[in-house]
Amino acid sequence: MKRVRIRAIAPVAAALCLAAATSACSSSAGSNSASGANAGSATPSSGNAAANNSASSSAGAGDAAPVTLTFWGTYGNGGNKAQTDVLNGSIIPAFEKLHPNIKVNYVDIPYDSLLQKLETSAAGGQLPDLIRSDIYWVPKFAALGVLAQLDGKMPGFEKLAADTYPGSLATTKWQGHYYGLPLDTNTRVMISNAEALASAGITAPPSSFDELKADASKLKAKNISVFADKGLQGWTLLPWIWSGGGEIANSDLNKATGYLNSPQNVATVQMLVDMYKAGEIPNLLIGNTGATSTQDGLPKGKYATILDGPWMHDIWAAQYPKFAPTYSPVPAGPGGSISVVGGEDIVMTTASKHQDAAQQFIAFTQTSDYQIAMAKTGQMSVVKSLDDQEAAAVPYFAPYIKQLQTAKPRPAVPEAPQIDTALQNDLTPAFQGSTSVQAALDKAARDIDPLLTATK
Amino acid sequence: MPMTTTVVRARDARGRRVGVGPAPHAGPTRARRRTLTPYLFIGPGFALFLLLIAYPMARAFQMSFYDWAIVKGAASKFTGVDNYVKAYDDPIFWRALVNSGVYMAFTVPAQVVLGLGVAMLLKAKAPGRALFRVLFYLPVVTSWVVVSLLFQYLFADSGLVNYGLHNVLHIASHDTSWLSSRWTALIAIGALGTWKGIGWSMMIFLAALQAVPRELEESAAMDGANAWRRFRAVTLPAIWPAMIFVTVMLVIGGFNVFISVLLMTNGGPADQTQVLLTYMYQQAFKYLDFGYGSAIAIVLTVLVFVLSAAQMRIMRRSNDDGALS
Repeated sequence: MKRVRIRAIAPVAAALCLAAATSACSSSAGSNSASGANAGSATPSSGNAAANNSASSSAGAGDAAPVTLTFWGTYGNGGNKAQTDVLNGSIIPAFEKLHPNIKVNYVDIPYDSLLQKLETSAAGGQLPDLIRSDIYWVPKFAALGVLAQLDGKMPGFEKLAADTYPGSLATTKWQGHYYGLPLDTNTRVMISNAEALASAGITAPPSSFDELKADASKLKAKNISVFADKGLQGWTLLPWIWSGGGEIANSDLNKATGYLNSPQNVATVQMLVDMYKAGEIPNLLIGNTGATSTQDGLPKGKYATILDGPWMHDIWAAQYPKFAPTYSPVPAGPGGSISVVGGEDIVMTTASKHQDAAQQFIAFTQTSDYQIAMAKTGQMSVVKSLDDQEAAAVPYFAPYIKQLQTAKPRPAVPEAPQIDTALQNDLTPAFQGSTSVQAALDKAARDIDPLLTATK
Repeated sequence: MPMTTTVVRARDARGRRVGVGPAPHAGPTRARRRTLTPYLFIGPGFALFLLLIAYPMARAFQMSFYDWAIVKGAASKFTGVDNYVKAYDDPIFWRALVNSGVYMAFTVPAQVVLGLGVAMLLKAKAPGRALFRVLFYLPVVTSWVVVSLLFQYLFADSGLVNYGLHNVLHIASHDTSWLSSRWTALIAIGALGTWKGIGWSMMIFLAALQAVPRELEESAAMDGANAWRRFRAVTLPAIWPAMIFVTVMLVIGGFNVFISVLLMTNGGPADQTQVLLTYMYQQAFKYLDFGYGSAIAIVLTVLVFVLSAAQMRIMRRSNDDGALS
């Protein structure tokens, strides 16, 4: 009796362990079950159904039949209804009025699941016509052949591209061609808690590396961290590297050795390491998930300064209504005050059956009807000629618009996520004291060299 | 008797229909139906197994030999065992393997011992027994996501655990930054796994304890065996099959730790707390390297399979040899 029972366990156990080990991979198989794993899969698939229907109906009917473009984005991230309301309520209707033959079906997808959604959809051949993609993912999907080239294909592309910030435009470029246009942008500026600074007798946010170092010890005496940030990836580290006069790679983006491990970068990272070891910067910097977040630490006066983007304005207005953040440029080092570019691009898929209509919508995204309407909800415009209009419409953007004039993008290559991992993993030991800054940067440069030239 | 009447009735029916309608089918149809019945019961489950488990598994096995291109229609490059060689040379893979093993070694004995202990205590008739059974089982049915975030707050630098150890009990002289280094983070993750799993092993042991023959316990007590001796000689052998089941399942579960790590540390800082499944997830879904991710999954599958088989063999033998005699 006992034996029978024991034997019966074997196949069950085997099946269970196999299932668990492979379940995450199953989504790559492109079966219908894969998309079921993602939140919100019901809406996108209905969106596709609409696109497919219109494709079949327009095939025979010619110009008169309306086409429906499916557009995926993450405007509603974090329950932000303001942006999806403007898009669906006024921007898309305005476009449809100008182009009576085109309908746009916007599908909102949570930020955290868009990448997975795109992966499984690419595997299953179920992509939308247009995507509002994080600038970080564009080279990867361009390299995979998911995105359509726009330069030389889209009428008026060159003129539109020339009117966008170069730092944003660079994120759409992959191997000499452009696979999208910037849609919105952002950057990081220094945000400080004036009360925390004042408690140590400091009247203005640090404007240079030297002031930052001087403030650090004064604030330490009051048990306040002079600066806090999360992780050592490009988004957090590069403003310091660039402001310190260094680079992460050469301008052709194919060599990190000789650039990332330069004397300038050693000095910059050493400054951060010294402050970290002195307890002036919290271990949030090496990615401690148990540390107080910058979002809470700054308004609570635990941290005196952070670097962050324009979205914090609304977050704090809701969560810490009494907190009055002070905005200033990234502290200047030998290289000036240089921050990192973030934001989203608008891209078209090669799978789109309505490339002309999709291009018309892309062109529309560059007009003030789109850019300024979105700016009013917190998305910064990418169009240079709209700067004044934008600053007048959204006063709190002013420090960001100024910082954007010199801000630079992270290396726009397909292996960008692996570059971030290399920075994080190779530099952390220098902060923990188990290796020197020079050795850490040497190793990071060696690890990043092959990632820059990988074309996958 | 019933059998005979059925046959007679069938014959009657056939007799009446001779020469009137189409050829009689009742006999063969019933026989066919009888052979089909079990397959109809097995069918739906088996179809789901094939579609949702066997097929993805076979695909993952196939992918692990390719530099897999995720885009539909794109050609993938066959790379042989390159992905497995890559894992062999990858220090983070080995660290993830060790972390998974440490998590398993930490949580499995804790869940077995504590689960059995709680089951022994809750076996006895006592006031509030049902309430305690529910309370101990509650973590099992609670969402992993919720409790992972809860434990992240508990083990945060200014969290309740530090407050208790430092400010209340004065065991620690300073706050520990639990989630910022490898071993302390694994303690926090292991504590969650144990806490969440005790109820499950308790439930299995409680069921098994009902089957321990009372007369054996009584006669052992009459022979002067103390509580520990009775437990060793009577209770443990009687619940041994349950022990094998619980241990094997917990070992499998231990190696499959995923959500708690993903949410509490996300494998960080600097990949120090990566376990096999979070590392596989990172390779496949963050780097889009499905070939390598699949190779890691296959290695894990083989490892767990071998471990489970070995465990059942060893534990069965130790039962035959020792515990019962």
